[in-house]
Order: sequence, then structure tokens, then C-alpha cells
Amino acid sequence: MSEKTILVADDETHILHVVSLKLRNAGYRVLTAQDGMEALELALHERPDLVITDYHMPQLSGLELCQKLKADPTTTGIPAIMLTARGYHLEPHDTEQSGILRMISKPFSPRQLLTTVNEVLLNAA
Amino acid sequence: MVRRGTILNFLSLALLAGGVYVLADALSNSPSRTISLRAGVLGIILLTSAAGVAWFSASSMQKGCRELRRQLDRVLNRQQLLIDCPHPDLRPLVSTINHALEAVQNTIKTAGIKTKELEIQLKVATAERQHAEAIIYSISDAVLVTDRFDELMLANDAAARTFDFDLNRAQRSPIDQVLHDPRIIEMVRDMRQSDSKSGRRIVEHRLNTPTGERTFKVTLSTVADQSEPDCGVVAVLHDMTKEKEVAQMKNDFVSNVSHELRTPLASIRAYIEMLIDGEAEDEKTKTEFYDIIQNEANRLGRLIDNILNISRIESGLVKIDKQPQSLMVIVKDAIEVIAPQAALKNIKLEEKLGSMIYQTMADKDMLYQAVLNLLSNAVKYTPDGGTITVQTEVDVAKHAVVTKISDSGVGIPPKDLPYVFDKFYRAEANNRMAKGTGLGLSLVKHIIEAVHQGRIIAESEVGKGSTFGFELELID
Repeated sequence: MSEKTILVADDETHILHVVSLKLRNAGYRVLTAQDGMEALELALHERPDLVITDYHMPQLSGLELCQKLKADPTTTGIPAIMLTARGYHLEPHDTEQSGILRMISKPFSPRQLLTTVNEVLLNAA
Repeated sequence: MVRRGTILNFLSLALLAGGVYVLADALSNSPSRTISLRAGVLGIILLTSAAGVAWFSASSMQKGCRELRRQLDRVLNRQQLLIDCPHPDLRPLVSTINHALEAVQNTIKTAGIKTKELEIQLKVATAERQHAEAIIYSISDAVLVTDRFDELMLANDAAARTFDFDLNRAQRSPIDQVLHDPRIIEMVRDMRQSDSKSGRRIVEHRLNTPTGERTFKVTLSTVADQSEPDCGVVAVLHDMTKEKEVAQMKNDFVSNVSHELRTPLASIRAYIEMLIDGEAEDEKTKTEFYDIIQNEANRLGRLIDNILNISRIESGLVKIDKQPQSLMVIVKDAIEVIAPQAALKNIKLEEKLGSMIYQTMADKDMLYQAVLNLLSNAVKYTPDGGTITVQTEVDVAKHAVVTKISDSGVGIPPKDLPYVFDKFYRAEANNRMAKGTGLGLSLVKHIIEAVHQGRIIAESEVGKGSTFGFELELID
């Protein structure tokens, strides 16, 4: 099985750190970004297999990031997991239209996140 | 009872008849000259007496009439009420006049009572009207009262300001000439024409006023009047713009606070789980995790303190314990706590702290909280690799110790600077730069101004950075 690449975007350094460590320990290649714009550039350039993003981020929100990726033909198929304390802000319509397959609310369990990541990637394959 | 005048008249008539008879008899058939002379003299005496009695009678009547006129004049001048009969012959006339006078006086009396009653009623009505007007004028809500012709009967200052019309000139004018909002005019008309005369309607309506667009709660009621089939309308407009803003602010606050609390909690839980799951392979990583957990727990504690303190200080619940304190020591403690956060962003912390000898009367915990909040903001709004300078110095002229925290951050637009100390306020331009509750600076202001009677310093330039600080009085 080839190594899957996951892009993690969060402006909270600690969250970014803990998520990437959990995923790396599980054998994934992890890319990190601290704001929406950086994440978008990385995603367009690297075309990861999955995006895990926070909702509230500087420059570009997590939702805007997913919408932009969905709109671009080269990244339109990338599934996304939204990791946020503000899940209640999002309408099902918004998430469906932006390729967001799962919502995980903070505080979260890295173990649970890893399980979700595995499921999403398995379904996408 | 035989009247004196009648007797006199009768007497004069008898004397006249007697005189004529004796004189005629003497002239016609007198047998002797002596007898006829005597009879003639008697006749003349009788006639003279008759004339005397008649003259006396006429003269007494004239006097009576004069007296009657005098008394009538007195009645006219209200010097007397009724006429005393001045002459027996005038008695029926006087009696009739007195009856008429009594009737007129009764009428006047009744009319007087009625006038008094009406005056009292008028006074009561005027007082009530002025009372009602005073109430309407004193209401801060805009009040409009219209009649059944949709003309403005009454309005208060608030209404004149809201709809921008002249209160004096607008009275009795059709509302479509006074109010320039078609929707309000329509509401008043609909209400007047509605079947439910006792009903009340409450409508939320946005209105363009001289001070900009505002939201009003419009309460419409009909003026109940039994005698009129059609009736007027009272419209009360309550400006709820501020209430809506506060409600929105509270919503934002709850949402921000919950987000703010969840973020450090998320780190704490995640790192603890990583330790439990054995994801930290070496001791170095474990120590790193412990540090993160400790720092995030502290951050959570500070947040909770901020939220609690602001409401405690505002409600006067918090006990203030002022002791002589060295501000430099407090600032040093705060710098130590904030240093890990600054290090994460590679921000350089420069300390320019003066001597510790200088003291100020302060509540140590509160002042520490204020300094920490200013430092935390500086770290938040300074990009990676920036510099924060913390300075405390003594201003001898002002007899004060001045603390300044300057950053090389994004700065605050001039339009936002006056409001940054308002509770929940967050500069729109920097909203995306960092998360916040909009409480930190509000708490600083409370602590410095209300608790310590100090002065707040806030200077900023967009793109260059901000300087926040405060002045506190020195103790000798």
C-alpha cells in the first residue's frame, strides 16, 4: 500500500502538532498549514489524499478552503474532515457541497480521529 | 282691607259730588238768599275739599313712583334684591315686579352653580390632558396619536426626532405629510380600519431616521371611543436597535467563550490521550507533552479568571485588597508566564524594567491579571519573529509609575481604537488574526481605572504596532 498523504490545517500549533504526530505514528505522510491560504497552496501543489481542517482560521476559513478545493478540477475529489469547536455553524448543505465527509468537534480524541481518517480513506479507495 | 288711596279717592269723589249737588241746589231753587248763600258757601267748601283730597292723593302716588324707581335702580345696582312697596296703589305692580325679580334671581343662581360645575370640570379635564401630555412627552419611545381622519393629534419629541418633523407645525396635519415612511402610514391606516377595535398589534420595523437605520418595535392600538364609530390610533415606537446589538453581542460572546474554552481543553485532552496510548516514544517527547498540558491548563485557567473577574468586578462582588506593591515585580511575574507563548511564535521579549524600590498601592492579583492580558494581546497580534518591549519607568513630574507594552504587531485602525476597551468589542480588521472573547481589554480598563484610579494608555499605528499600558500613582 502506497503511503497516503494527509494535509492538516489548524492555527493552533498544539493541535497541529498532536494530530500530525498521531497520523505519522500510524504511517501517514503529513503536511501541515497554519492558515487557510497556506493550506490551499499546499493542497493545490501536493494533492493530498485527505484534508483535515479547522473551521476558524486566519486568511481563509476551513469551509472556504474546502469550497475552493472542490471547485478546482485537480483537487475536487479530495475528501475532507472538519475539526472544529464550531460545528453548529455549518449547514448540511454547506458540508455536502464542499466535500466535507465528517465533522469532529473539539475537544476531540486523536484515537477517534485516526479511526475516522482510516474509514474515510478506505471508502475513498 | 281697604287701602288708604281708595279711601282718599272715594272721599274726594264724595266731596266732589256733595259740593256739586249743594251748589246746584242753591243756584236753582233757593227760597231765600241767606239759605242759598250758605248752601253756596258749603258747596264751594265741599268742592275745594274734593280738589284738596284729589291733589293730596296724586301727590302721594307721585312720591310712590319715585321711590319705586329709586328702589329699581338699587336692584339694578345689586344693592337690594326685592322692592319694598312704596305706595298702596302700587302694591300689585310691586308684587309682580318682585315675582319677576325672584324668578330672574333663581335663574341666575342656577346658572351660577352650573358655571361653577363646568369650571371645575374644565379644570379637571385640563389637568388630566396636561398630565397625559406630560406622560407622553416624558416617554423616551416615539408616540404618535392620530384621529379618525388620519391626522396627527399628538406626538412627542422622540417622535419628532425619529421622523424628523417640527412638532408645532405637524399638529393637525395629515400623517402622510408628516411621516415619510409609507409602511408606518399604512400600519396606522390598517389599524384604524381594522374590525378589532380593542386589539393591539406589535410589528418589528426598520426605519430610516436622521441618525441612520434603526430597528423599532411598533405597538399600534386603537383609541376606544363609544360615541364614534371610527376611531384614532396610538402608535408607540420602541427603538430596539441597541437591544438587538446587545443580544447579538451576547450570542457572539457565548459562541466565542465556548470556542475559547474548548481550544485549550482540546489540546489538554488530546495530549493526555496521546500519553495514555503510548504515542510519545521518548522521554523528551513526554516532557514536551507535559509542558503543553500544563501551559494549556494555565491558559484555560486564565480565560476562566477573565470571564469571572469581569463580571465580579462589574457587579462589585470582588474584594479588593490593596497593599504597597512593586509594579516591576508584578510585571516580571507576568512576563515569565507569557514567555512560552511568545517563544512558540519566535517573538522576542525585551524587558526594560525600572527599580523595584518604587511602590504603588495595588491589588496584586488584579494588576497581575491586567498586565498578563496586555502581554497576551501583544503576543496574539504580533506576527512570528516580532518583538515585544515591556517597559516600566517612574515619571517624577506626574508622581506616577508608567508601564508600557509595545509590540511590532498589526496595529489597530484609528476608527477602532476608541472602542477596543468596550466589552465584547473586537476590531473587525484583526478578527481573523487571532481568536478572542473581547473581554481582555475591558477587564484591564476596569482594573486600572475603576479599581486603581489609574490612567490607561493606548496608542497604535496600523502595520507598525501598538502600545498599551497604564499609569499608577506612586506612594511616598
